[in-house]
Amino acid sequence: MWKRKKKRAREKKQNELKEKSDETLQTLFEALKKSDDFKSYQAGSNRYVVSYLGTLSEPKLINHSILPVLNENVFFTLEEMKNMLPVEDLEITEDPTGVREKIMKGYIAIQLKESDKNVLLIPAVTVEGRQVSIPEVEFSVVGPKEAFVESLDKNMSLMRKRLTLPQFTMKEVSVGKITKTRIGVVYIDGIADPDNVNTVLQRLDAIEYDQIIDSSFITQMIADNSTSPFPQLLDSERPDRVVEVLVEGKIAIVVDGSPHVLTCPTTIVEFFSSSDDYFLPWPLASVFRLVRLFAVFFSVLSTSLYVAILTYHHEMIPEELMSTIVSSRADIPFPPILEVVILELTIELLREAGARLPTKIGQTIGIVGGIVIGTAAVEAGLTSNVLLIIVALAALASFTTPVYQIGNTIRLIRFPFLLGAQMWGLVGVSMIMVFYIGHLIKLKSIGRPFFAPLYPLRFRDLRDAFIRLPFNTQSERPLQTRPVDPIRFNRKRASEKRDVDE
Amino acid sequence: MNKISGVKGVNIPEQFLITPMFVFFVIHSMQVGVGIMGFEGYIAEHAGFDSWISILIAGAFMHIVLWMTYSLLHSSGGDIVSIHRGLFGKYIGGFLSVVISLYFLLLALTVLRTFVEIIQVWMFPSLQMKLFTAVFLGIIYYLVVGGFRLVTGFCMISVILTLPLLLLLLFPIQIGNVNYLYPAIEHGFVDLLASAKATTLSFLGIELLLIFYPFIKKPQQSVKWAHFGVFFTVLIYLATALVAFIYYSEEQLKQVTWGTISLWKIVEFPFIERFEYIGISLWVYVIIPNICLAVWGATRIPKRLFKISQKKMVILYCVILFTATLLLDDRQIVEKINDFTSQVGFYVLLYIPVLFVISKIFHKVRDTNET
Repeated sequence: MWKRKKKRAREKKQNELKEKSDETLQTLFEALKKSDDFKSYQAGSNRYVVSYLGTLSEPKLINHSILPVLNENVFFTLEEMKNMLPVEDLEITEDPTGVREKIMKGYIAIQLKESDKNVLLIPAVTVEGRQVSIPEVEFSVVGPKEAFVESLDKNMSLMRKRLTLPQFTMKEVSVGKITKTRIGVVYIDGIADPDNVNTVLQRLDAIEYDQIIDSSFITQMIADNSTSPFPQLLDSERPDRVVEVLVEGKIAIVVDGSPHVLTCPTTIVEFFSSSDDYFLPWPLASVFRLVRLFAVFFSVLSTSLYVAILTYHHEMIPEELMSTIVSSRADIPFPPILEVVILELTIELLREAGARLPTKIGQTIGIVGGIVIGTAAVEAGLTSNVLLIIVALAALASFTTPVYQIGNTIRLIRFPFLLGAQMWGLVGVSMIMVFYIGHLIKLKSIGRPFFAPLYPLRFRDLRDAFIRLPFNTQSERPLQTRPVDPIRFNRKRASEKRDVDE
Repeated sequence: MNKISGVKGVNIPEQFLITPMFVFFVIHSMQVGVGIMGFEGYIAEHAGFDSWISILIAGAFMHIVLWMTYSLLHSSGGDIVSIHRGLFGKYIGGFLSVVISLYFLLLALTVLRTFVEIIQVWMFPSLQMKLFTAVFLGIIYYLVVGGFRLVTGFCMISVILTLPLLLLLLFPIQIGNVNYLYPAIEHGFVDLLASAKATTLSFLGIELLLIFYPFIKKPQQSVKWAHFGVFFTVLIYLATALVAFIYYSEEQLKQVTWGTISLWKIVEFPFIERFEYIGISLWVYVIIPNICLAVWGATRIPKRLFKISQKKMVILYCVILFTATLLLDDRQIVEKINDFTSQVGFYVLLYIPVLFVISKIFHKVRDTNET
């Protein structure tokens, strides 16, 4: 019974789809008229039919440039009208699907008579959008303060103004059965590897889904391994950062409606490099990068090491230090693992709450969580002071990642380590680490190894991985992207030195 | 060259090949395994504290065997399976290849069982062996099905991660007594040779080259890296053995089963001591690529011989390893299997020169017949 109903529903849907393919202008306008913001009226000296979506089309253009012309002149063909109208990019068409697409974007359609097949399409698109503002997720103290917004065109212009190059190419595709979201694949022709571009375009073509609301949809759908906790495309809200990697030969994917632009192929080390690294002198940048890397390891491993050592290997701690830990843990009724799980969950709760709340209340939550709950938990004898310090530091360390996505990954991957530590102490931690390293070596970002430049070992790319060497040493583009033109600049000329007193 | 021997070379698609440099890591990680944890006692049995010379002798022998292996492989262009088939025909050759496959399985078993033994002795006397071995083999399965490139990558990571452990050798030197080493060379040549043979288990592993040779991008260039790998292993063994000889007295060394681990024990820092826990945990990174390479090699042979899926073979071999590990639940048996593997490995190493000679004669005969 139920099955039959389902079948019938499917048939009905197929019929509908069929109808759509053989639609005429009449059916199109009828369908549109059901919606109240669709306007269709007769105007001008000869009662021309003007139809458009009132919420998408610019009223100023209609009132100032179109209606006066229609009122003052008499036209017998659309061609005459097209020549008289003071608007660019006009188009006369008979194709109903083309008309539908254009009207849905905000074009104005004009017919001579209601039953006429020819339609003049006038672009009058007006889309409300946010103004370009300062980056909030990837904030930096120095450097440009522009962030992408939710419009593909605006984002393109933000990039184009930084990259005035005719080879800067965009290929547009539309993805999503219902949303028909515009997606731009952006690269520099002559630097980016055409294979990479093709891979991206093919994967975008292969997407079968009805809606693309944000670029994170694309990240998950075109990822090489979509079950991995590691993001395989880097997302950025900074135009300067995206342009920087475009010049290195990478490819950017701009999704209309998303303020984050994806770049690929990427590597794991790229997630730990921030745009600040290039604004600071290289010794500082290198040290800060190493600090960040240490922070990641600390954040992932500190609590599991605590569990491993306190559960199985107390002998490892020297006597003097042991007395400190013992005195802080003396009243606690739980084994270390339970203590850690309680505190980790508290921190996770605070993070989730803080992320969902408006900024002003979020601060209060931070204070309540950090100070009140923490102190109370220690005083109540649920957790030890030492652990509280470790967990707080680990949380703090995980916030140092410059890319938000990898921060989430770090949040998750520490739990398997806790499990390993509880099972087999330090050996368990090692085994989980082995698994993750194997997983990272296996991962690929649009077909290029994700664990590079560590494996495959690429000394050329290591110059801008864990440390950043000065600009004059970075004379070649990274091997990772397989650039068509690998040379950035003439190294000899860049490192020419003057002799003493010259 | 392929034309002369009449054996078809094995063609591996380019994306699965490794660059010549990585042969260094593969050879080195295949050689260093559990042996280094307690080989000082074994080798000192015959030649006493002169046995550091035996390490050099064994190392020299390894270099010669490696050279022979390369020359064997260069002239055939394939791997051990095609060499066997070319020399001995389908059936005898196939049988010999299966023996080699089982030998690698035995290597994997020895390393796995010995490592479990170390964990039982040093960290968790009441280890749940079933669960631990199952999880361990699960990780190995995950890595091996990733292919040879993945395992190679892991070898490199393991070498880099465990390199700092060498620094720990500085601590025993400070309190050691160099005079233990004197008088030098008081044992006869026969004793030295016996010690060198005892070192074999620690040096086993270069035979894997017989299988992964077609996976090297430019095999000719990899020769020097392979020799570097062996040389590096010799250096590490030499350093470890010398430090152990300085630290222990000859009588004491006879009592110590895991010499290297005991050496780590004395390391102390203000915030951490008892470094053997860290050492053994880090040794997981050495053991895993070691077993992975052995399992990969062992399963690659049946794939080449019988055209069956390597994944299924990995599962089968992992199950065999699992059951065998659980069955061998005695310290004495573990020691016996170590001795046994050492013997078998020694004969496999001797088999390579034999194969080398046979193939040279074979080629000569064929060449004279053809002309």
